[in-house]
Amino acid sequence: MASLKSEDDQARFASVVLPHLADAYALARWLTGDRADAEDVVQEACLRAFRGIGGFAGVNARAWVLTIVRHAAYTWLGKNRSASLVMVDDLEAVEQKQSSAGAAFEQAPQTPEAELIAKADARRLEAAIAELPVPFRETLVLRDVQGLDYREISEVTKVPIGTVMSRLARARRRLIERIGTDKPGGAP
Amino acid sequence: MTPTDPRLLVHAYVDGELDPAHALEVERQLADDPALAVERERVEALRRVIAEQLPREGAPPGLARRIEAAVGLRPAPAPARASSRPSWRALAASVAVAAFLGSGATWLALSPGPPDADMVVANHVRALMATHPVDVGSSDRHTVKPWFNGRIPEAPRVVDLASEGFPLVGGRIDVIGRTPVATLVYRVRQHLISLSEVPAGRTIATSHGQIGGYNIVSWTDNGVAYWAVSDVAAADLDTFAKAFRAAEPER
Repeated sequence: MASLKSEDDQARFASVVLPHLADAYALARWLTGDRADAEDVVQEACLRAFRGIGGFAGVNARAWVLTIVRHAAYTWLGKNRSASLVMVDDLEAVEQKQSSAGAAFEQAPQTPEAELIAKADARRLEAAIAELPVPFRETLVLRDVQGLDYREISEVTKVPIGTVMSRLARARRRLIERIGTDKPGGAP
Repeated sequence: MTPTDPRLLVHAYVDGELDPAHALEVERQLADDPALAVERERVEALRRVIAEQLPREGAPPGLARRIEAAVGLRPAPAPARASSRPSWRALAASVAVAAFLGSGATWLALSPGPPDADMVVANHVRALMATHPVDVGSSDRHTVKPWFNGRIPEAPRVVDLASEGFPLVGGRIDVIGRTPVATLVYRVRQHLISLSEVPAGRTIATSHGQIGGYNIVSWTDNGVAYWAVSDVAAADLDTFAKAFRAAEPER
């Protein structure tokens, strides 16, 4: 209960968690796909963080906060958008299979030029990212939107760095293909 | 463990994640393999366009305020509306008093916010008259709580009290003054309890009252005034209020 917490905990919370509120909100928004839901998730996550502030090891506050936000977002997704999480395990299996067969890279149906990629606007990018399966999406967002390094992403998403690398590569490849198949600027 | 596929490594190269030996190796491959060089251009173009088009945005200002209040870093959000009550509201309140005034007049005089008390009773009575006392009917707080998103600015506190004998029935939006507020509905035996959550500019002490035969318990936690209204016995309503306040917000 909040009232039993000491002022030390409050001060610690203010210095550890609050500076990363923008990052927390951004991750929650990308995972839930909705601003109001994201606020709900961040609020829940912050209460968890406050209760668990004593367990913070003091190394990387942002990664610690994002780990809790991600957990809260997954709980929320499980309750409200369970379909989006069902595929996580299957996805890993497919990924393994594709990876061992080398199939993913060989097919390469679309290879848009860098100039075409550079013309993508915010709406198309957001839509393409939103379509990514959650494990790919969170990896890409943490790296390319939020600027975490691989080690931090590995810590937040609880997978080895090699998996971070392959998920990131696949997420980017899907985005590049998607942007390449979309018609820029709403042209027919 | 380290992937050796050059098309994976080129991502790590672009991200500056490779040690110097591996970076040199990728640079050599980039020079030898035009397809790989094109892949690198695409990845860099994607990274650039994401950085340009999807700038990092800050958290909504209200969010920080709510969180600070929730952990006790800030006494309570102080909405400007607290001091400017429209006159029609006093009129509405007096109508409510005329309609429901019972033996609770002494309490009314002591109460810190009589209009709110009248309004929550009026809302409760109106809800009982309606076909459904709730707009969202569910015993699952994870269904009820998200329903309020986008309807009211503050996320209400919703707790599961089924094991205490107060199963959740659902929630609705009530209006107190001109402010839409979250109202949760719990059931105890055959009675309904309406619990309105009003972001308060002031802290009010726990108080008990009765208007028109309806018992009322109100209290303030973390800057939110809670108003519980029901026709159950005062002792039952008090038990409910204590259970609600003692419950963990989420698990």
